[in-house]
Amino acid sequence: MLAAGTAQAQEYVRPTPDLDRLTQELFAEIQSDQVPSEDLYETLLQYYQTPISLNTATREDLRGLLLLSENQISQLLTYRQQRGPLLSLYELQAVPGFDLRTIYRAAPFVTVQTAGGTNGLRGPLWQRVFKEDNNALFLRYERVLQTRTGYTAAPLDSLGRGPTRYLGSPDKLLLRYRVSHAKDFSLGVTAEKDAGEQLAWNPKGRQYGADFLSAHFVVQERGKLKTLAVGDYQLQFGQGLLLSSGLQVGKGAETITTLRRSSIGVRPYSSILESTFFRGAAATVEVTPTVRATAFVSRKRVDANVQLAADSLAEFDEFSSGFLLTGFHRTPSERANRQTLRETVAGGNLSYTSRSGHLAAGLTAVDTHFDKAIQRRPELYNQYEFRGTHNLALGAHYTYVRGNVLVFGETARSSSGGWGTVNGLLASLAPTVDVSALVRHYTRDFHTLYGNALSENTRNINESGLYLGLKVRPVARWEVSAYYDQFWFPWLKYDVGAPSRGHDWLTRITYAPTKTSLLYAQLRTRQKAYNPSSDQPIPQPEPTTRHSVLLYYDANPTPTLGLRTRVQGSRYRATDASPWQRGYVLAQDASVAVGRRLRLTARYALFDTDSYDTRQYVFEQDVLYAFSVPALSGQGTRVYGIAEISCTRQLTLWLRLAETHYRHQTTVGSGLEEIQGPRRTEFKAQARYRF
Amino acid sequence: MKKHFMAKCYPILSVLLLTGFITHAQGSGPGVRGARAAALGHASVTLNDVWAVGNNAAGLGQLSAPTAAVYAENRYLLSALNTVALAVAAPLGKVENGLARRGVVGVEVQRFGGKLYSEQRIGAGYGYRGGLVSIGARVDLLQLSIEGLGSRRAVAVSLGGQAELVPKRLVFGAYLYNLNQAKLAEYQQERVPTVLKAGLSYRPTAKVMLNIETEKEVEQSADFKAGVEYRVIDALALRAGLRTLTEETTGGLGFRAGALQIDYAAAWHAALGLSQHLSIGLSFNAKQP
Repeated sequence: MLAAGTAQAQEYVRPTPDLDRLTQELFAEIQSDQVPSEDLYETLLQYYQTPISLNTATREDLRGLLLLSENQISQLLTYRQQRGPLLSLYELQAVPGFDLRTIYRAAPFVTVQTAGGTNGLRGPLWQRVFKEDNNALFLRYERVLQTRTGYTAAPLDSLGRGPTRYLGSPDKLLLRYRVSHAKDFSLGVTAEKDAGEQLAWNPKGRQYGADFLSAHFVVQERGKLKTLAVGDYQLQFGQGLLLSSGLQVGKGAETITTLRRSSIGVRPYSSILESTFFRGAAATVEVTPTVRATAFVSRKRVDANVQLAADSLAEFDEFSSGFLLTGFHRTPSERANRQTLRETVAGGNLSYTSRSGHLAAGLTAVDTHFDKAIQRRPELYNQYEFRGTHNLALGAHYTYVRGNVLVFGETARSSSGGWGTVNGLLASLAPTVDVSALVRHYTRDFHTLYGNALSENTRNINESGLYLGLKVRPVARWEVSAYYDQFWFPWLKYDVGAPSRGHDWLTRITYAPTKTSLLYAQLRTRQKAYNPSSDQPIPQPEPTTRHSVLLYYDANPTPTLGLRTRVQGSRYRATDASPWQRGYVLAQDASVAVGRRLRLTARYALFDTDSYDTRQYVFEQDVLYAFSVPALSGQGTRVYGIAEISCTRQLTLWLRLAETHYRHQTTVGSGLEEIQGPRRTEFKAQARYRF
Repeated sequence: MKKHFMAKCYPILSVLLLTGFITHAQGSGPGVRGARAAALGHASVTLNDVWAVGNNAAGLGQLSAPTAAVYAENRYLLSALNTVALAVAAPLGKVENGLARRGVVGVEVQRFGGKLYSEQRIGAGYGYRGGLVSIGARVDLLQLSIEGLGSRRAVAVSLGGQAELVPKRLVFGAYLYNLNQAKLAEYQQERVPTVLKAGLSYRPTAKVMLNIETEKEVEQSADFKAGVEYRVIDALALRAGLRTLTEETTGGLGFRAGALQIDYAAAWHAALGLSQHLSIGLSFNAKQP
């Protein structure tokens, strides 16, 4: 016991992760409202919740962290092999290739604690679950304080009908419990009700209290059985062309390590994104020390807009024009679309990893069946979209590292005959120079329903592209990263009435004068074709151009004080002939620790945009694991304050109040979300209890 | 009584609009204080002289001796656009190692304009420095008077901060003016401008200072400002700067003789011509080095 005690005492105290800074460093700036980005970030941060053990992690696990270069991973594995397990995180300083910045970045997400092989020595499973420290119950409440149209009483006409209103209260509620241990087990339950949704017990309508319920139980490392998941889970294999679990960060300022995806296999799901997971069971078995087989089956109901065919000669009697991914069930029509389509997915993966870990290759199969046919609206741009009730996709993936070069890729084919391929290369040309390249090609009839490999479109279809990335550290404390991405769309797209092309580039110069401060300047340009707004009989897409600039400064001049400044602006024009429109935001943040139990954070921001096209997406700090990225347009101020209160060792509270105050506006928002008056105020409270 | 406060002042309004001055100090914006700040293209959020009382109250925190200063400004050779100001600042409590233990208070009175249109203000500021970080706050009592239309009063609260990112080399500053968004008139929601500015100052040696700054008023375009100061000898400093929003270039001189500090600045606006700024300060330090 004493020995264990001292070993514990030597362990580096894991710092609390600065998720806001991680976001700044990894994620791309948001480009559209289509993707529920806030939930995507949460999914990624949930992944970081269970620290990985540096002593047992495989090459693939370490790549999944996105914070280490391939060279650093190789050095760590060699070091581990030669000298045995690391005794403390401090030892990372002795591993060649690890600089202090890398160690500080990675420290919150890794541990050196006991290896997975000793799971059994810590007692039976139920005891380990019971005694696990890494557990937390979250309760979150959220509400917009002003009254929105959707929540007002509406006058009824003589037939007793009125305009659409939300059925539920404007409160948003989230309850989540999770207990997990890396390479051992994970157990979690999540329940969520969005604003406007009802809390109801209605087994007929498949609603049991909250609108969204999720649960999982996962055990890992049981001899030959590597993973067994029951309940909700996600899968990621190869480059995510067929199975991708929402850990993609897209094209961002990290141009090297995030380009390649990791085959992390089966992982538990505990987020609130209502559409990106599987529900059923999955298992991974070690066939031989180098071969692993995964099989999974999932059956769940998804939201879709189901219609009956009006024409008796139609191909399908009953069909859906598409999936609805928002997860909102607030109005009668949204409720009518709730869980109307049954989706059954089965498949597997067989992968080989050489003994050295240098070569990995595998095969993936995903078979999907819907109980009602999918048939998109008969528009020309939907010509090659998935239709029918069945899709089988087969793919192969590989990774090979030799010296300072890593090549990787995945190719797949769907039952439509369409195919997609993504192939890339990462190379460390010198200790201070890294380059990357990635070629992708997804045919117009390639259908991958759960894939999300790198692409400009939100889905892997109808696109070819070439991405080139660079990261240079010319002198200590300075880093320059850049990418250039060129893309072609061989078929029409929504709002793009002809084959089109475009490009996108980004440059970021980062300066870290001290260990706790960071300054960067980022430029980005994106050119992409869209139909002009004028009504022509045959629209000819014209290139739209958007330039954006971001200056960011983040420092902790004292241990109790944090300062952040963000200046961002963009200009946009719809065609080469139209005038530039501009948008600008200046935001100043400060955070202060008051004693040991209280931390206060506040922001004051001014925004000014010419139009909705130049709206500014601004990252905001939020309660733990939540994200806020409001799109600001118009003129006004945005202010928020957060209090984080550590009540006891078990209980932590977060309170957040945010307000946008628009100038020269008498209403905010539109439709059911409309508010009378120039302000929108959001209140959020979260409690975390650790048992 | 929802009458537009400025309704009948077209002559003056048109002058204000024309001058581009309106972009900076319309209805009592934060303005610029001291000829040193003016010579640096108004990139003054990281400065810590006595005029920090108006430029960024956090800078007051570094003042180690009681100081009084006067400032006069003329824009485009029009007497209706004159500004005069008087500022006094004094450390509270003991001064140790050049730092006031309990912070520094400052008071400023200012008047802008002529007979037809004028703005008066009384401001009280406080700055405190601890370690490498300074914080400051200021309250302004503003009065706008238009002949024949009477006057309006408003209270504006401002907050500021400065931090040395690399001690003595790289300084960051931010200042938020009128965070309470004080209202001047109901008509068209006329408000005292809310202005946020943030900037960096790079000081590679004790003689050289390079400042960059961005400033944003909610209803105006963003301004980018840059300034450079070079201290040729201890007694003489040369300065130059520019502002992108008003397209002004600035230049100036600063003399230091014992307790006395004299600064002069001239600014050139491409369309409107010359502005001049003069400030004189006196520091009451018993033991002047």
